[in-house]
Amino acid sequence: MTTRTAIIAANGELFDAYKVFNIATAAAASEHEVTIFFTFEGLNLIHKQASANLPLPEGKEHFAEGFKNANVPAIPELIAMSQELGVKFIACQMTMDVMGLEVDAFVDGIEVGGAVTFLEFAKEADVTLTF
Amino acid sequence: MIETAHTLDAKGLACPMPIVRTRKAIQGLSPGDVLEVLATDKGSTADIKAWATSSGHAYLGTEIEGNVLHHFLKKDSALIEVKEEIPVMDLESFVRKVEEDRSLTIVDVREEQEYQEEHIPDALHIPLSEIESRMHELNKSEDIYLICQTGRRSGIAGIQLAENGFKNLYNVVPGMTEWTKQTKKGN
Repeated sequence: MTTRTAIIAANGELFDAYKVFNIATAAAASEHEVTIFFTFEGLNLIHKQASANLPLPEGKEHFAEGFKNANVPAIPELIAMSQELGVKFIACQMTMDVMGLEVDAFVDGIEVGGAVTFLEFAKEADVTLTF
Repeated sequence: MIETAHTLDAKGLACPMPIVRTRKAIQGLSPGDVLEVLATDKGSTADIKAWATSSGHAYLGTEIEGNVLHHFLKKDSALIEVKEEIPVMDLESFVRKVEEDRSLTIVDVREEQEYQEEHIPDALHIPLSEIESRMHELNKSEDIYLICQTGRRSGIAGIQLAENGFKNLYNVVPGMTEWTKQTKKGN
């Protein structure tokens, strides 16, 4: 049986992106079936422009250098890698409607769905995480 | 950079990249092949070990050289059961042996670059990753002295040889790190 990992990404700053994509790529590299549901500010993490310029939390800007020194991959690289490893991205339709966003604002290869789409996957998940 | 078919250089990469790269590298290998992963991410030891266990590969161990971690994995194998401990020969006794008998069969299992830098004169060179495919070059009836940098890789090589019917094996511990006698550069 494949291990299933379900992740909800509900926040849109740089730290959130690393938490989400690091866990997702590590899980996928360990042969888990991974789906991430991006909702509310979490949509920033897969937005074409926003994902390349995610802000650090206020007062934590000095960590920018730490990220550079630690040679941590950039978020767009982690996105590409996640997709290459078969991680499935679902953007929340309702949030997109509220924010007036269309599917082409996001990186290629995503699906758009509602809460039930995610729940259908998550109900059989072995690991469920919310960031 | 040490580059062989079975060495992955993941130095300088942060989590989760060493794992992602290791997965990719091991996909290209055949069952039983040994992969050496070089990493500087200190968390990679625990991660590689956990990943190997859940992915069905054997984690053979990690050798530390300076700030570089050398992780050794064997594709699609359960953890190697050491049925037969490979006898350890301490370096001092080994030095005496070498001085007595110049025709000793010494097998250096380190990688190409390490061997080129310095090795014991007349030592044969078979990197750990090639032991399985090249063990026919060795004579089962001879005493064989295995050496690497610290004794870790030579121990693994010894287990592989013992599994294939080699009997008279000695693992030299520690290895080249503390060898102070004559060495040779190049081939």
